[in-house]
Amino acid sequence: MDLAFTEEQNLLRDSVRKFVDSQYAISGRNKLSASAAGFSRDYWQQYAELGWLALPFSEADGGIGGTPVDTMVLMEEFGRGLVLEPYLATVVMFGSAISMAGNEAQRAELLPAIMDGSLMASFAYAEAQSHHDLNNIETSAAADGDGYLINGEKCVVLNGQSAGKLLVSTRTSGTSQDHTGITLFIVDAAASGIKRTDYPTVDGLRAADIKFTDVRVSAADQLGETGKGYAIVESIANRAILALAAEAVGAMEVLYQDTIAYTKQRRQFDHPLSEFQVLKHRMTEMFMEHALAKSLCMKATMLETQGSAETQRTIHALKYLIGKASRFVGQNAVQLHGGMGMTEELRVAHYFKRLMVIDSQFGNTDHHLERFVA
Amino acid sequence: MDIEFSTADLAFQQDVQAFIKANLPRGMDMWTKRSEWFQALRDKGGWDVAKWPVAFGGPGFTPTQRYIFDLEMSRNSTPPQIPFGVTMLAPILMNYGTREQQERFLPGIRDGSVNWCQGYSEPGAGSDLANLQTKAVLAADGSHYVVNGQKIWTTLAHIAHWMFCLVRTDNTGIKQEGITFLLIPMNDPGIEIKPIITLGGSHSVNEVYITDVKVPVADRIGEEGKGWTYAKGLLVHERTGLAGIQNSVLALSKARNNALQVKVGDGTLLDVPAFRNKLGALEAELLALEFTELRSLASVSAGSDPGPESSIMKLKGTEIQQRISELNLEAAGVYAAAWGEQVGPGFARAATSAYLGTRATTIFGGASEVQKDVIAKNVLGLG
Ligand SMILES: Cc1cc2nc3c(=O)[nH]c(=O)nc-3n(C[C@H](O)[C@H](O)[C@H](O)COP(=O)(O)OP(=O)(O)OC[C@H]3O[C@@H](n4cnc5c(N)ncnc54)[C@H](O)[C@@H]3O)c2cc1C
Repeated sequence: MDLAFTEEQNLLRDSVRKFVDSQYAISGRNKLSASAAGFSRDYWQQYAELGWLALPFSEADGGIGGTPVDTMVLMEEFGRGLVLEPYLATVVMFGSAISMAGNEAQRAELLPAIMDGSLMASFAYAEAQSHHDLNNIETSAAADGDGYLINGEKCVVLNGQSAGKLLVSTRTSGTSQDHTGITLFIVDAAASGIKRTDYPTVDGLRAADIKFTDVRVSAADQLGETGKGYAIVESIANRAILALAAEAVGAMEVLYQDTIAYTKQRRQFDHPLSEFQVLKHRMTEMFMEHALAKSLCMKATMLETQGSAETQRTIHALKYLIGKASRFVGQNAVQLHGGMGMTEELRVAHYFKRLMVIDSQFGNTDHHLERFVA
Repeated sequence: MDIEFSTADLAFQQDVQAFIKANLPRGMDMWTKRSEWFQALRDKGGWDVAKWPVAFGGPGFTPTQRYIFDLEMSRNSTPPQIPFGVTMLAPILMNYGTREQQERFLPGIRDGSVNWCQGYSEPGAGSDLANLQTKAVLAADGSHYVVNGQKIWTTLAHIAHWMFCLVRTDNTGIKQEGITFLLIPMNDPGIEIKPIITLGGSHSVNEVYITDVKVPVADRIGEEGKGWTYAKGLLVHERTGLAGIQNSVLALSKARNNALQVKVGDGTLLDVPAFRNKLGALEAELLALEFTELRSLASVSAGSDPGPESSIMKLKGTEIQQRISELNLEAAGVYAAAWGEQVGPGFARAATSAYLGTRATTIFGGASEVQKDVIAKNVLGLG
């Protein structure tokens, strides 16, 4: 067993951390978030130049050939900075779907465009009735000549606003809750019949509800086999959960450390807050929650890297634990900052909101605990 | 023991219910017909100031009547009153103000024409309120104070005409003894208000900077140096009001309805055991908290103190408010993230907003950690 990071991973961590520390002070971050795009295209281009956009793709596809552990290292640092660029949507979700399930032509067309920064993308999977069930899909793709017509509506599509391509989960047969009969399509975001409603998310990112009315796709746009898309959806979700978990671990670290720093400096009743036993214990618990979440995040990521049979179950445990830890750490960071914790001026509020959103994505604590114990 | 209200109290309850049915504006009228509602309450015999004594135009409710009145008002979501004047300052004016002050300020408080804000907290005085440093110096001729300092977290200062304020008039003795209670007009040129934007982007609290504001001695409440004693009585009023039990009962039944709208598989979110159990646990705890309030009420009705149980109301009540907001957030599913546009289930936007906003309930009006210290000391005798 070897739990040490490789030299490359340490270098990656250092370079992402350096970037985040120099470019992602909270005031600048919030200004970016409020801008029309909601993130920086310049930064995105820098990510391309630094090779971060090529991280998970195989060398055969022109990538760096990183593993999920490398993505974890990067996402944890992104979490420390509440990075806004659509890395999760484009590289982790869309990108890994193409690299895992794309054919030669799809990989050759799409992956280089992701890696050089010219293509941003989204994965449109959730629907109003699906709650957290990824297989619960009503959006239909009906055969039409040599292609398909897509009809339906996807919700809270992350990064929908800037995506050039959408990966859409559809139903080609069966009823809404079947695991079979699901087929994925790569759809041009500008295709006719697509109507998007863009909105900010509470954590300062962007999402969209996307309505598909007779949107035509060709057979060449299909990702993977007809009716067997659920396995791909699940794989994307797993990669997304691992990335979100790493991001949450980074965000929790900032929160518990900021809370320690604040309580050392804030005085009430002639003492620093950090001297009150109940607060010491609370911060110790925040630290424990973070440490355990980080451990399980590492374990699940390593299992995924190895393709272990235990991966799926561990990912359920992970998403449960991340949700629970995030809530505890987030709520107590606000609480221990008192009124200051309620202000948008301190960064605590923004990390709190990001963690709250992470629990709502790809299944919340209840959803995953139920599957873990099943 | 008898778990039912007396026949007289039941008759009173029916009277309140009938009144609400006849007078409560519905839907959009809730906003436009606000003043008609308060006028009707007033005409009914001082029901607009239900907690005020008869001498000041109140209805003179017994403790049980007051409980029933609050219960019915909350159950029916009647228009709320901004508490600063009616609930918080008025009792202080009645107990410690001069007749002149009562005549000058109570009518504006009662008819809602004068807004008040509470200027207690300061950057260095939050949980440790007695540490406040805003300074009031009595002029040589004894006619007025000159006030300098800064308040923070002042709710609705930006729409207030007046602020009731704790200031320091003496630095020599123990902290609590040098505090004086002043009324300060917000239109004084020496008052500067800066908004503080809180979680979720809303503006309700402010920083208030006070520079060389002259406050006539006539606008001091009671004696110099006694402000702490007056305010402490008031804080008790604030805390019992903050438990929001009936609001939580209502909020919980709404949460149940929200969950019923959320499809999960072939059923709804209410069929998901983890969710249903959390909802049920809250219902059980709320039943207990409601009855705790009744125990306290019984004790007051019998002429005793509210009893040690009453000290837990704010602590437990605010915890429950927060947990209900978590349920709604979970019911919103992926739409919990959405912000801005109205998308997803109708309740989603409010759920996210409430989850953020209710974080403050365990911070203001006595932060929970500090409340527990107070209970440990005063109720349990633990040091
Ligand atoms: C939305 C909102 C509205 C408000 N409205 C008003 C208003 O209108 N007027 C007004 O005057 N004030 C108002 N306040 C201020 C409120 O009363 C204070 O925020 C509160 O007293 C806590 O003080 P603080 O924020 O300075 O936190 P701090 O006192 O710094 O406390 C920070 C944390 O430390 C903990 N702590 C402090 N002391 C101890 C101790 N001895 N032992 C253990 N733990 C401790 C607290 O529990 C808290 O978790 C408002 C606050 C908020 C958030």
